[in-house]
Amino acid sequence: MLLQNAVVDALNNTEWAFPLAECVHIGGFAIGVGSIALVDFRLLNLALRKESPARILRYTELWTVIALVFVVFSGFALFLSQVGIYLINPIFPIKMYVLAAALVYNFTLHRKVASMQDPPPTLSKAVAIVSLLLWIAVVFGGIFTGFLE
Amino acid sequence: MSIAQSLENIGFLSRFSESVLAYPIVLSIHLTDIALFGGMILMTNLRLLGLTFNSVSITQMVTSLRPWKRLGGTVQIFTGLLLATCEATKYAPNPFFWTKMAILGLIGVHALVFRPSVYNRTEELDKSKVIPARVKLAAILSLVLWTAMFTMGRLIAYWE
Repeated sequence: MLLQNAVVDALNNTEWAFPLAECVHIGGFAIGVGSIALVDFRLLNLALRKESPARILRYTELWTVIALVFVVFSGFALFLSQVGIYLINPIFPIKMYVLAAALVYNFTLHRKVASMQDPPPTLSKAVAIVSLLLWIAVVFGGIFTGFLE
Repeated sequence: MSIAQSLENIGFLSRFSESVLAYPIVLSIHLTDIALFGGMILMTNLRLLGLTFNSVSITQMVTSLRPWKRLGGTVQIFTGLLLATCEATKYAPNPFFWTKMAILGLIGVHALVFRPSVYNRTEELDKSKVIPARVKLAAILSLVLWTAMFTMGRLIAYWE
């Protein structure tokens, strides 16, 4: 409660705090989702073909995790500042379920297949497409949360 | 009638802005595009700064991602044009919008300045042992410009 009040005060009573949190949120997901997408593009054989997917994963993973931490924290701050509005929003819970699925998927199956020595092409492609679809759905969910109140 | 008003009155643009779904869908595409291809710009710049992908050549990083960045840029311009023109009378007086357009211009200048000395000479860069200062400058400026770009994009919504 105390934390919530502090965040609510900061975000609602300063003119720039809410848009700043939004900018961190957007910048964060651009880095987080973008770095995951790079692994997916490799799994689909669409970019960086000379490198193995495992290597792309190794180079991007740290950036993915750091960025996603920023996204989650800024998102949580945005949520706390207007809890009432988010809780009655019809899209917001769907976005949260898809986000949870995307996060779990990314650090389990996706990670496992991308770090395999020689992943079977069909499996790689299927895993990459599911990953891209999940993250695209999260971004759409975020925008629609803001539009359909 | 002002230019902004006549833009808004173009048949398909006015139908577009009146649709409940079309506007957020195009905005979502605009944002998804930032995530997919903005991430590639970021990773290329991190490579130029020597912060990641160090065993991947700069040449491969730049040339293999270039077509995707071009596709991403084209989608950004089309969706952006649609979003701005259908609400032209709101955008025309908005200082954040014009700042964003100025930054877009600067990104063009960045390309003109650094393409000959950095992005088109990657094979030379791969041969040299240290990454030259002008390359790091190009990467840092690119990161600053793109950060300013999406920040202004977000702030457009806050101007009244």
